[in-house]
Amino acid sequence: MTNSKLTARNVDVFYGQKKAINNVSIEIDNGIVTAFIGPSGCGKSTFLRSLNRMNDTIADARVTGEILLDGEDIYAAAMDPVALRARVGMVFQKPNPFPKSIYENIAYGPRIHGLAPAKADLDGIIESSLTKAGLWDEVKDRLNEPGTALSGGQQQRLCIARAIAVSPEVILMDEPCSALDPIATARIEELIDELKESFAIVIVTHSMQQAARVSQRTAFFHLGNLVEYGDTSQIFTTPREEKTKDYITGRYG
Amino acid sequence: MSNASLSAARDGNAPLGNARWQTPEALRRISRRNAAERRFKLIGLGAIVLSLAFLALLLVIMLKNGLGGLDWSFLSGSDSTDPDIAGVWGAAKGSLLTMAVTLLLSFPMGVLAAIYLEEFAPRSRWIEWVEVSINNLAAVPSIIFGLLGLAVFINTLGMPRSSPLVGGLTLALMTMPVIVISGRNAIKAVPPSIRDAALAIGASKMQTVFHHVLPLALPGILTGTIIGMARALGETAPLLMIGMRAFVVTPPGGITDPSSVLPMQIFLWSDEIDTGFVQNTSAAIIVLLVFLLAMNGLAIYLRNKFEVRW
Repeated sequence: MTNSKLTARNVDVFYGQKKAINNVSIEIDNGIVTAFIGPSGCGKSTFLRSLNRMNDTIADARVTGEILLDGEDIYAAAMDPVALRARVGMVFQKPNPFPKSIYENIAYGPRIHGLAPAKADLDGIIESSLTKAGLWDEVKDRLNEPGTALSGGQQQRLCIARAIAVSPEVILMDEPCSALDPIATARIEELIDELKESFAIVIVTHSMQQAARVSQRTAFFHLGNLVEYGDTSQIFTTPREEKTKDYITGRYG
Repeated sequence: MSNASLSAARDGNAPLGNARWQTPEALRRISRRNAAERRFKLIGLGAIVLSLAFLALLLVIMLKNGLGGLDWSFLSGSDSTDPDIAGVWGAAKGSLLTMAVTLLLSFPMGVLAAIYLEEFAPRSRWIEWVEVSINNLAAVPSIIFGLLGLAVFINTLGMPRSSPLVGGLTLALMTMPVIVISGRNAIKAVPPSIRDAALAIGASKMQTVFHHVLPLALPGILTGTIIGMARALGETAPLLMIGMRAFVVTPPGGITDPSSVLPMQIFLWSDEIDTGFVQNTSAAIIVLLVFLLAMNGLAIYLRNKFEVRW
């Protein structure tokens, strides 16, 4: 086996009768950032949500094919979706902190998974998660203030800290900067670059510049198909497919 | 529309800028619109004044007739054939016991049903049918619930007639659909992003609902519950059917003792010929209204206490 963390083989995703993802096979590696790009409605978010079975919450969504995490089929009966989501964390488009304190936002995950038996352990996890998310210095004196009182960029970093706190192996990010201003976006991008040392990161983005800046691999989706997948530098300089070239040069999308 | 077509659409001789809005036709049009707005405000205000006036009238008449009868012996006594001895405590205690039974049954049942329907139930024909039934149940006339209570709780299950237990069970049947409907609306109003957030860090469905969704929905659920309870408190018709119109001279000692309730006491006294009961009726209405106001006040307090701002 290679360095591949997540492997998808011939994956189809259906919403009722509608096929949203068509026969996608892809390998996502450890230690790098993989970007999914493509025009709106191309299925990149749908595919991302099938990687931690968040699609299970949509009543008529159905996934066929194989998705392997470290070689184990995540849709197999033996794989508990709850345990899977602790291993494959997710950050959403709009920052969605719980309407609780900053401390409680991060403490929730470790608590339900029993990761911190003592208060001191929990405090340690809170500090290290916030530090990794680049938020510790800004909030260390006001951990009891509501997480929702932070600015948008801080809220998104809080959500990242919350995802890190349960020590996942993969972090999925669904357009994490689309609700943020350029400065907050730059902070998150720096953060993503640091985090890739510890986690496999998959990011869905509408911004091609962002994909070019933060990712090492890029996958281009169009109408539910994976059109092209390769090193980011190659995709953006010498795309093999005509469609990829048209998209990255701004011909459509 | 481009600039060129905009100016083409304009009459060649029409004035430009603010002058365009100062022509006689324009001024007439604007004053007509302002007049319409003033008329609407007046009619709206009139509607409020009219309904408030009736409420004020009710309060004034009740206070005038009943205030004289509100003394300690009235508040602590029970029903009697003598209007000077008759008091409201027996009925008030009956109401309290009945409400306690109603709350203990309808709140957990209603909330659990709302959670199940909103968060766990699979979308199926069967569930749709359940939803329609619950909505219909909320619209069933209360006298029918009284008949149901009589048939099931008293005649079939042999529970004691005229008791707060049977009254509470019957009113719980009526109140539950109200709690289910308001509970579902409150649960629906919790943003889906909160559920996503909890699920994505590996919370189970149960944990997501009980740790995050329910606390956020609680103010709405409580408000709906108290509105349902206030309705049940004023309900008379179903209790007629289960015998709570009995003449009871001692306050009930427990939920199985025969008892009356406040609105029933008002109904019974209003039927009396002796003029002394006119004052008693008004005084009992004041007591009932104070009860209702206290419950509404509690609803507002609880909503503000549990409301989470973000």
